[in-house]
Amino acid sequence: MDLETGQISEDELDDELVGQKIGGVGITTWLYEAHKDSDPIVLGAGLLTGTLFPASALGVISAKSPRTGGLTHSPFTLKAGMELKYTGFDYVVIMGKSEKPVFLWLHDGVADIQDASEFWGADVWSTTDSIRKSMGDDLIQTLVIGPAGELGSDLAQICVNYWASGDCWGFGKVFGQKNLKSVALRGMGLLEIADPEDFVDQCFNVLETIKHGAFAGKNGVEDILTAMGEKDVKEWIAPFVHRHSACYNTPYPTNTFIYLDENPKTLTEPSEQEPGFLINDIGALLALKKAGLSAESAGRVLKACAKYGIDPTAVAEVTAKSGQKDLEQIEKSFADLKGPVSDPKAKKFSSWTPGRPLFSDFGLSDDSAYGDWWVRRQAVAYLFGIHPIFANMAPEISEELLIEMFNKGTGLTLSQETLDKAIADVCL
Amino acid sequence: MRIDVDALKCIGCMACEMACGYHRDDAFALLSSCIVMYRTREKKDYFGVVVKEEESLNIARPEGLEIRRIGVTEESSDSGQKKEGDASAKPMLLREPCDLCSGMKYGPMCVKICPVSAISLVE
Repeated sequence: MDLETGQISEDELDDELVGQKIGGVGITTWLYEAHKDSDPIVLGAGLLTGTLFPASALGVISAKSPRTGGLTHSPFTLKAGMELKYTGFDYVVIMGKSEKPVFLWLHDGVADIQDASEFWGADVWSTTDSIRKSMGDDLIQTLVIGPAGELGSDLAQICVNYWASGDCWGFGKVFGQKNLKSVALRGMGLLEIADPEDFVDQCFNVLETIKHGAFAGKNGVEDILTAMGEKDVKEWIAPFVHRHSACYNTPYPTNTFIYLDENPKTLTEPSEQEPGFLINDIGALLALKKAGLSAESAGRVLKACAKYGIDPTAVAEVTAKSGQKDLEQIEKSFADLKGPVSDPKAKKFSSWTPGRPLFSDFGLSDDSAYGDWWVRRQAVAYLFGIHPIFANMAPEISEELLIEMFNKGTGLTLSQETLDKAIADVCL
Repeated sequence: MRIDVDALKCIGCMACEMACGYHRDDAFALLSSCIVMYRTREKKDYFGVVVKEEESLNIARPEGLEIRRIGVTEESSDSGQKKEGDASAKPMLLREPCDLCSGMKYGPMCVKICPVSAISLVE
């Protein structure tokens, strides 16, 4: 999609390309390189995204990061990765800069560039509300920026619907530079499998094995942080926890919804339209706690970050350094928030995923082994479309198993050598 | 026999919806599923599951089960509250009712795929 000319063209996904690059970040990287001169931003779904394979929730955004200057990859989950797959477009290359604000509307095999002038200037929440209302469909998933992206902040984040995402690269700024307010996704497509019976049999077998794993009975960001050694987080946040929820087909609910303006124990539909916030950024929550904020204040800061479309981890870091605890002052700082903020720790894959195994040790004997393991594990997750946090919980989802699923799903033949090369290509 | 959903156990992953779609279409798709996660109150974190049966829509809400008779305007709800219908509920009336995955070797696929055992088969 060329935003400058308004031209849209479509290509069939080539089996040979899938056989070499697999999917997800393998193909977004290939597409990025092919269109590099146009400074593209590329969206993609993993090979298994949207199937019955456990945790097949991942979508990927690949672009040059305003923060690092290099090609980087950001995960998006909830239901948006799955929704991209069912729009009929596995990959979308967005090039050029639109003359006026636009949003992309991808649905049912149709790609449209639509006027977004009326949304420009609006925050993330009201933009998602407006797009859903104007299209008459509350299930539309949005990749969307707020004022931070429009104003060109290096810390601007592409949010998912109303919530934070794994974008720690400043991709919100890239959207803003293109005058691109949002990509709206909705699909009623159909995904065919080469060997459906064997594929589904194996999905059930895998689920049966992993659902009794070490994470069984655990929930949300607070149990993840507990597993990481942050023992008092659960007690800190417990008074505000409403429910836990999972991204598409993900057996562990990685998201914790807190109620800030309603009784968290309420079961009926609350009258308050915006009673709380869905926490999915583990690092940002922990950083705000360590900055000395109460759980309620941390929740309100995260909510304000998501409305403004700014990386909450960066905000938490600046907040911790400044010692500021006043919510109004923290929120006021968003517009001028440039630094000093550390570079994202990882080079290619988002540090939104904790840098260590969760609930299980994956056979790693000590912390020094985590670095290389983490990069390879994330590369595999981003290729196949596995939720990157869940990938660090389930050693049962091995490379050998994923090769088997590739072969059953596509009817092609993937070898370990080809997988090794695909991993190496995206880690360079 | 019928499908029973414990909405409080449900983590909203939609695996049941996709599994049902597979039963209907022999491929992965959501359009024909007779079990659907309702998720239009996203900002409120208010979600549950709707199952279409032959004569009713069974709506498993966090506060309890609501049964809406198809073709009957009155509602019965153990919460006693009248609920506004979701946009996503409208096409439910056009879908095939649950057949407990008749002909599938797995039995009801939504029961088998649920990672937290929120869905069960009951008398």
